[in-house]
Amino acid sequence: MSHPIPQPSFKARAEAALADRTLKLAIDRTTGTAEAKRAAAVAAFPEFDAARRRGRAIKDHVIAHLDHYLEQFERNATAAGAKVHWARTDAEARAIVTRICLDADAKLVTRAKSMLGEEIGLPHALADAGIERVETDLAEHIIQLAGEAPSHIIWPAMHRTREQVAELFRAGHQPPPAAEDPATMVQSARRALRAKFLGADIGISGANFLVADTGATCTVTNEGNAELTTTPPRIHIVTAGIEKIVPSTAHAFALLRLLVRSATGGELTQYTTFHCGPKRPGDADGPEEMHIVLVDNGRTRMLGDEFREMLRCIRCGACMNHCVVYRQIGGHAYGGTYPGPMGSVLTPVLDGLAGSRDLPNACTLNGRCEEVCPVGIPLPTLLRAWRSRSWREGLEPGTLRAGLGVWAMLARRPALYRLASRIGVRALRLFGRGGWIARLPLAGGWTRYRDMPRPPGRTFMDQYRRTRAQKGGRR
Amino acid sequence: MTARDDILGAIRAARATPARTAEAIAAEAASLLDAPETTRPGLAPAAGDLADAFARKAGALGTTIEHLPDIAAIPAALRRYLDTHGLPASLAVQPAAEFAGLDWGGVAIHRDLAPDEPAALGLALCGIAESGSLVVHSGPDAPVLLSFLPLHHIVVLRVDTLLPHLEDYAALMAKQASPRNAILITGPSGTTDIEGSYVRGAHGPGFLHVILTRSTD
Ligand code: SF4
Repeated sequence: MSHPIPQPSFKARAEAALADRTLKLAIDRTTGTAEAKRAAAVAAFPEFDAARRRGRAIKDHVIAHLDHYLEQFERNATAAGAKVHWARTDAEARAIVTRICLDADAKLVTRAKSMLGEEIGLPHALADAGIERVETDLAEHIIQLAGEAPSHIIWPAMHRTREQVAELFRAGHQPPPAAEDPATMVQSARRALRAKFLGADIGISGANFLVADTGATCTVTNEGNAELTTTPPRIHIVTAGIEKIVPSTAHAFALLRLLVRSATGGELTQYTTFHCGPKRPGDADGPEEMHIVLVDNGRTRMLGDEFREMLRCIRCGACMNHCVVYRQIGGHAYGGTYPGPMGSVLTPVLDGLAGSRDLPNACTLNGRCEEVCPVGIPLPTLLRAWRSRSWREGLEPGTLRAGLGVWAMLARRPALYRLASRIGVRALRLFGRGGWIARLPLAGGWTRYRDMPRPPGRTFMDQYRRTRAQKGGRR
Repeated sequence: MTARDDILGAIRAARATPARTAEAIAAEAASLLDAPETTRPGLAPAAGDLADAFARKAGALGTTIEHLPDIAAIPAALRRYLDTHGLPASLAVQPAAEFAGLDWGGVAIHRDLAPDEPAALGLALCGIAESGSLVVHSGPDAPVLLSFLPLHHIVVLRVDTLLPHLEDYAALMAKQASPRNAILITGPSGTTDIEGSYVRGAHGPGFLHVILTRSTD
């Protein structure tokens, strides 16, 4: 496992995040804009619903014929001059990439943001092999300076305010930026990274799509850092999950219309680039070698179980931008590579359920994520599936099992249930002050950041019967 | 068993229905692209010409547009552009045949790109009206870095190469051998990585200027 769930527990991480006001401010600034821009982009595209159905059908088609398309992709990429590698696990993928770097005697590697690279633990693997790694995406550059992991799949540095970024750049850039406004800081990063782009031995990117009928990989960026990463070095390495396959360029475009609107509210990113093999004879520039590492890492397992639909995910980030829990606690609290609703489904697949069973529980099941997902993934249903698996496998703690066991027993005996809930309601009133319960024994986690309305002193059933009796007289 | 065998084997083992023929799969894949007009944005103005639709989209993204009658008018337009932006009368030019015979007047042109090249001139293979995108393909006379290193990227786009939609470009691409890089450029480089606020010129060009010409004669 490349990302063992770090200690302390999810609850402790979420607590710490909730208490961090700066974090809340940073998250609100970006997610608020993202939500508004996505809404505007969808409103300006009346065909969105039909496009979403098409996107979903394309992904389902590919998932049903994954072997066929992977073989076709391999044939065409190989014919174009690329070398295709296969990795069953994150460890195998890391080993393949590290071996290519060491064989090439690479000293400096530039990398264009790829969540798959994070998933397989590439940054640490390169460091362990003694290779200097330079992240070229602006957000990845920020978190590399901070020594952190991404907190969002589209905006990895979402948790950082501009003031904090300025501090990092003053320490990390020579000369330091002259001011704290985003424009000045972006210029500073542009200057700082230029020499790295042109001096790198190897450039590593991910892929948003693998095009089966051409053998090309596709990257989408707003900054232009991907092409500056993949063009000057002698070797270009792509790491990609096997679910990224599309039949053709036209299918990729159908999905791009959904991806970009859902991610940033744009129609296309500034740069949509297809990379097909290494440079051709006579080409003015480009790498001499291209390697593509196709990574399974749990995906074929998902094909056969109830999480198969998750393979449709195109990593747009909309589900987390619209998630009330994500917006309170941010990405790091989730503890895995992928945060938010999609992360809560994927992390148990990647890191095991035992260490991550709290994630599917940290969800209000309000359904916003499924509503905005551009490929119609039923995220709440999948989260519930993890909850019941966790229950079946006996991973829930004793207090919860005992509590729910008592509840189940009482629920099957109506008279007892009514008695018990009356006792419960009275007990709750003891803690109530002024109509709101600000602290509750055994539920401090709930009441610290929320107030619970004080119950009216009679249970619903009590009141229902009284009302019925009164009305009954008048009927 | 190799990793490849294991992965393909696991995919086949998870399949609930029998494998289908390549022809059947291809037919289904093609049917998934039927009636493209139902799932893509229309052009605005709907009945106008493609150059109008392209200019509207590209303009909204911060790309500046200039119309010229022909390619011979380019050097004078470039001098004006460099002047307006306070840039030296010097320009990196793509080694394309279309630019070979031009009289550059007072502008010093060169081919090698500096790491912080102030301005470069390139030629688009075609344009896409739906998204306001320029398409460039890498090749012996088309370096990829020409579109990414300069601060000002100036691109000549022939009106007769404009395509309505992304699918039209996909169809064009399907007819020819893929270049190493096929690049859709949709507006100047930008980022929203600091608090979601939009800043231009992150790594690629901060300025994208399109010269629309009726012909390259
Ligand atoms: S689950 Fe859906 S909304 Fe979330 S990242 Fe994946 S595609 Fe986007």
